[in-house]
Amino acid sequence: MQLNPRKGRLTAALGLMTANLFAGALCAHTAQAQDSQNASQNINDDTSTDANLTRVDSAILFYQEANGRVKAIEPVTSVTLNDDSGDSLHVKLTADTLTGATPNGAAPWTAAQTFVTPSKTQGQKTTVTSASGNSQLVTIPGTDVTARQYTTPANTLPVDSGFRDQRYAIDLGYTGTLDNGDRLNLGGAWSTEHDYNSMSANIGYARDFNDKNTTVSAELNFEHDTSKPFFGTPEPFTEMSGVSKGGNRTKNVVDFVGGVTQVMNRYWLAQINYSLGDTSGYQTDPYRVISVVDGNSGAPVKYLYESRPGSRIRQSLYLGNKIALWGTVADVSARLYHDSWGINAETLEVAERIPLTSFLYVEPSYRYYHQSKANFFHDYLIDGQPLPAYASSDSRLATFNANTIALKVGMRVLGNDELYLRAASYQQSGTSHPASAIGDLKTENLFTGVKATSVILGYSFAFY
Amino acid sequence: MEVAPRPLERLKDGFVYRFVAMHSPCELRIETDDPRLAANAGRAVELEALRIERTYSRYRDDSVVGCINASAGRPVRVDNETRALIDFADRAWRLSGGRFDITSGVLRRIWRFDGSDNVPSRDQISALRSRIGWGRAHWSDGEIALAEGQEIDFGGFGKEYAVDCAINALRRMTRAACLVNFGGDLRVTGPRSDGQRWRVGIEDAARPGDMAGRLEILDGALTTSGDARRFLLKNGVRYSHILDPRTAMPVKDPPRSVTVAAPTCIEAGFISTLAMLHGRRAEKFLKQEGIRAWCVR
Repeated sequence: MQLNPRKGRLTAALGLMTANLFAGALCAHTAQAQDSQNASQNINDDTSTDANLTRVDSAILFYQEANGRVKAIEPVTSVTLNDDSGDSLHVKLTADTLTGATPNGAAPWTAAQTFVTPSKTQGQKTTVTSASGNSQLVTIPGTDVTARQYTTPANTLPVDSGFRDQRYAIDLGYTGTLDNGDRLNLGGAWSTEHDYNSMSANIGYARDFNDKNTTVSAELNFEHDTSKPFFGTPEPFTEMSGVSKGGNRTKNVVDFVGGVTQVMNRYWLAQINYSLGDTSGYQTDPYRVISVVDGNSGAPVKYLYESRPGSRIRQSLYLGNKIALWGTVADVSARLYHDSWGINAETLEVAERIPLTSFLYVEPSYRYYHQSKANFFHDYLIDGQPLPAYASSDSRLATFNANTIALKVGMRVLGNDELYLRAASYQQSGTSHPASAIGDLKTENLFTGVKATSVILGYSFAFY
Repeated sequence: MEVAPRPLERLKDGFVYRFVAMHSPCELRIETDDPRLAANAGRAVELEALRIERTYSRYRDDSVVGCINASAGRPVRVDNETRALIDFADRAWRLSGGRFDITSGVLRRIWRFDGSDNVPSRDQISALRSRIGWGRAHWSDGEIALAEGQEIDFGGFGKEYAVDCAINALRRMTRAACLVNFGGDLRVTGPRSDGQRWRVGIEDAARPGDMAGRLEILDGALTTSGDARRFLLKNGVRYSHILDPRTAMPVKDPPRSVTVAAPTCIEAGFISTLAMLHGRRAEKFLKQEGIRAWCVR
């Protein structure tokens, strides 16, 4: 008997075939935009590498996006064990709970829009009204197809509020010091959520030169991710519908980071890193659609599942500095990023740690980020024009600026410990009213970026 | 070509426009208060149906299919729409392992499903088998060359394609909620104007005219394939009208009907037909492919 590896193969292939069939007849394409989003790196200011020291750090992160969008609560605990030969073991456990609404990718419109998506609860035979947002379950009797439908009011960014996920992650790392003083580190990570699994392994090597004033390091990281959307993976550019889609998809990521850390003088530590990464496989957001709109009025004609290239090559150059002056510690870093999707990004980050008393410090920080859009970013596609090879309306692929302002307060409570609180405000700004907007879309806010607030409360302590 | 306006029937929440094309009763249901819009939409749908019938009818010598079949093996270059359709047929043939074959129409010459016991002889069957097989035709770069004695027809998906084209035409002209039904192959433009689903009755294969059930759809297409009234009976064996092009014989024990939902009509039609071609394994096939369908035995 055949064990189902080809489940959904037929419908997936068919979706593609019909997309081709009707591509000439009605499909469309439009203005371009691009972008990306990337976290910045910091010089690792972890000082917990003392011999025989054990450090435990526990924190909880609260993250909230404005307008009732994503909300996350993330407890984290990590333990670092050092032995007397300089080896250390690091274990980190994370649990995330994500709830809220995410933009579904469709453009806002002057009238209410209704979206139909497969329900997570397939197979129910009765019609159900659910309390999750303004969506309801509808059933196609006999076929067992249960679709969920939700309506977005006029002039409102369409969001899917039926979003909730829980993620658990574990990170392990081991650093061993060889007889000649070189350090080898090995690590692995695994995380799981309902619709996504990720595992990775890394190996790194570092050597000191120049009386330990120069450190050269290289690291390779391999990651394998599996995307298993609740209702299957839609074929790109097929129409949004309540019908279940194809099977799981995977992607592989390989990253190389090479860097040099140099002690410039007794007050100044500098680091330069170059990283090259290749991601291949499924990088499309399976829940996200893009509006196909009428070329004159801008009215939505239909919603197609988005499509992204299967390959992405990323490069970045990072320059970091840690400067200690007048009792304060300043972090100044810059990062340039470029990828094969056409995104170019620049990050500038400044943080200053200012001790107020012997047991209390504050650390204000500011981060500026700008990126240009991916070459397949479109706010929407235009009906009647040929479909591009790829298209996404994800704001993370758009041109935008982001500013983060944060303040951290830390205090020593008992001695070898620290209680800290960090509050940050993150705000993206982008092109709300592109000049190319057509019809009534001129009056709609097409930029879907986020404003978010986050608070971290943590406590770390160390003992021998 | 002009189509004479026909009387519309007013329903509680819109209009229904009825006509006959492709040997089937066809209708458009449109949710609007505007009779002019309803009539215009109806005419647009009818024109689309007639256009596709005229272009792809195998009974017309001047149709694209007629020209290809009359080409006696010489290569024929086709227009883009036909090319897309033949590409679809080509992939459908591969995807179905040869079960879905646009060259299988000649089988109808020996298998006549009129309820009689006229089962063709073995010689008749083997003589015809040499003329069937899409793999023997040459298809590349928009040029088709049939092998000797071969004919193609788009009967397997023409009506479904017409429904999809009609839906596309409607979407270009109105945002009103519409349902297009050509002889039981149907598709909607989306949810009804009140956001509710469309109700679709399914004919009972065993008792024509009666409803075996009711389906409701919000979006996409529904098609039903079946062998309700068309079969042969000989020595107690019921020969279904579903013919397997690979054997030139009827499929054994297909369901009475298979109803499939899919985003487009041509997809739904392909899946429901292919399920029937799996005969007694139809349900298993649908399950393996993860397709939700309603089979009546």
